[in-house]
Parts: sequence; C-alpha cells; structure tokens
Amino acid sequence: MKRLLFALFCLLSLTARASEPVATTADATESENFNPGEMILHHIGDSHEWHWFSTDNDHYTTYLPIIAFRPGQGVAVFSSRHLAEGEVHEGLKLEHEHLVSTDGAKVYDFSITKNVATLMIASALLLVVFMTVARGYAKRGTAAPRGVQSFFEPIIVFIRDEVAKKSIGPKYERYLPYLLTVFFFIWFSNLLGLLPGSSNLTGNISVTMTLAVITLLITLFSSNKNYWAHIFATPGVPKLLLPIMIPVELIGIVVKPFSLMVRLFANITAGHIVTLSFISLIFIFRNVGVAPVSLAFGLFINMLELLVAILQAYIFTLLTAMYIGGAVEDHHDADYQMGGGDGATPAQVH
Amino acid sequence: MASPAKPTDPNNNSDRLRSVARYSGIGVQMAATIGLSTWAGYWLDKHYQTKTPWFTLGLMLLGLFAALYNVIRAVSKGE
Repeated sequence: MKRLLFALFCLLSLTARASEPVATTADATESENFNPGEMILHHIGDSHEWHWFSTDNDHYTTYLPIIAFRPGQGVAVFSSRHLAEGEVHEGLKLEHEHLVSTDGAKVYDFSITKNVATLMIASALLLVVFMTVARGYAKRGTAAPRGVQSFFEPIIVFIRDEVAKKSIGPKYERYLPYLLTVFFFIWFSNLLGLLPGSSNLTGNISVTMTLAVITLLITLFSSNKNYWAHIFATPGVPKLLLPIMIPVELIGIVVKPFSLMVRLFANITAGHIVTLSFISLIFIFRNVGVAPVSLAFGLFINMLELLVAILQAYIFTLLTAMYIGGAVEDHHDADYQMGGGDGATPAQVH
Repeated sequence: MASPAKPTDPNNNSDRLRSVARYSGIGVQMAATIGLSTWAGYWLDKHYQTKTPWFTLGLMLLGLFAALYNVIRAVSKGE
C-alpha cells in the first residue's frame, strides 16, 4: 500500500517536472514580448480547441467539435479547425474564445470545449475505476481486497465512517453515493488538472457552481421541518427580531453552497496561477540563472497541489455532509449551522 | 451528536483534519456572506440608480451581522 502510494507520487511528480516548462517555453517563443498574464489566463481558461504545445514553426492542437444552436437557424456541428485563427464558418466565429454569430444573432454554445472533454474523461475514468472496484466486491465479497480495490477501499471507508456517519448521523446511507461521487470526482479532476497539457476543470467556476447547486438541492430536498422551523422561527429569538433573523438565515442557505463554489474554484485556480507564475519568471528575466530557483519553487507548488487536490475534495465532501446533516437532524438542541457538532470537536480547538 | 464513539488514537488525526476543514469553512463562509450581500447591494443601487448607495450600505451591514451571527452560532455549542 505504502509502496503503491509512493509509486503514484513519483509518477505524478515526474510528469510535473518534465513538462510544465516545455509548454511554457513554446508560449514564450511564440511572440517576441512575453506576456505572462496573457499566457497564464490562457492556461487556466477554457478553449474550443485542445492546444498541446507549440514548436518554433508548428502547433500541436486537437480540434474539438463546435456545437452551436441559434434560434431559427438550428444546430450547427463542425470541427473547431474551421474557426482557427479567427476564421468565419457557417456565420460563426470565435472572439476571445467566445462563440459569436457574425450577424449578431444569439448563439447558444453547446460545444465540446476543452473543459467539457476533460469532464467526460474524468467521468469515464471514474466509471472504469469504480466498476473495477465494484466487480472486485461482487467477485470476492468480504474477502481481502485486491489491486485497485485495495487502494480505494480505505478511502471509501474513510468517507463513510469519518465524513458521512459523523456528520449526517443514522440516515447517512442514502447520501453516501453522492458524497463518494463528489469526493472522487473532485479529486480525480484536480489530479487531471495537474497533468501537463490538461485543462483546469475544477478551476472553472461553472463546474464548481454545478457541484454546489447539486449540494444545495440535496440539502433543500432532504430538509425536515426542524430545519425550516429553525429558519423561520429560530428558537430563543424574540418575535420582534424575526424580521431581521429570517433574512439572515436565508442568506445563510445561499452562502453555504456559494462558499463551496468559491473555495474550490479559488484554490485550484490559485495553485495553477502560482505554478505558472514561477515558471514565467524565467522568461521575464530572460536569465538561465533564474531557472533553477523558479523551477524548484514551481515544483514545490506542484507537489503542494497534489495535497491540495485531495484536501479540497475532502473539504467539499465534508462540508456537503455537514450541510446535509444540519438539514436531516432531529434534535432541537443541536448545532444547525455547520451540522455535526460531535462531542469530540471542542477538545480539538487549540 | 449521533456518534457515541469516543476519540481513540487513530481517530484523533481525522478529528483534527475535520476541525481544520470545519473552521476554515466557517471563515470562507463569513467572507462569502459579506461579499455576496455587498455585491447584491451594489447591484441593486446600480439597477435603481439611487443617489445615495442605501442598498450597498444596508445590505453590507446586514451581511456583516449575518456573518458574525453565523460564526458565533457555528462555534458555540448548542448545549
């Protein structure tokens, strides 16, 4: 187990070391005056084509399908190759990665962008991995796990016992599928985002917003009357204060998923920006002497990102579980704000 | 709450991790409350073209109050 983890660690660090500078070198040589801000924003943003790297006279790019719907004109499906370098195809063109119609009509962009493609890859990866794990349980039952199964079993058990059971209480079982899915999805996407040439999936606010909205909906639909009683008639609050307290409680409902959304987005995006900034230093100073220092720092941040990848997945899952726990709890005296106020917590406050 | 298990040694680490996540969550939530309500007030002021930014002021103060109230309630045990 330990050896497996170590091997995984080495593998990930190797790719991080090998290729981050490669991609940036290409970007730097592309134009004479290197603009780090532009390069970084290009790297963390979404795009309609998958740009791997460039050499002095060549770009290595995978063109992804464009799917555009315009009311009255139907759906247009074609490769983004036709839109490269600002070309116009079927009355559509790309303006700063934004699909617009040349005649000013409204365009609904359903394209398989880089992020959408990564989302599909992450989902496929999750399916493959966890179908293998599930097959292991079907075949071996409660016998000792093997292979991939033995890597994921402790993590699954951790999420079940330490996150779901402690935060939600006796009704944890029906929420476990969502919690496990969201944990592994965020973790896998974070790690995929660290791979060279890949896209910054969990650093996209639309992705994190979707996850946060699902959490909000699950919380609202599983809420019991205690939860609502606490919002519209908070116990121990005088009637006169209720007009102030109700908006405060309602703000709380919206803010919880909002903070989930912002936290994941900000953490992942910040990590990418910092790594790329360190690498950019070489090209800003145009000095080989800077390279070892900035590479060392870049590598360090990259290693840190490996930790952040699982930590953010854990935090998202834990807070989701706590919000659900607050909504399904039966006791009146319990802490509704963050959910699970288990007896062990106060001792941990240093 | 629902966990009668008292913290044993292997549990201690995960409990600490849990606290870290929990309290960092409270911090982000506080910032998000103030930010979101201020932004809402700002937007309302812009939308209604108010001369004095009453919405920004009012919602910012409400957000501040809500953030503090939620933090206090989250960290104090409901015994």
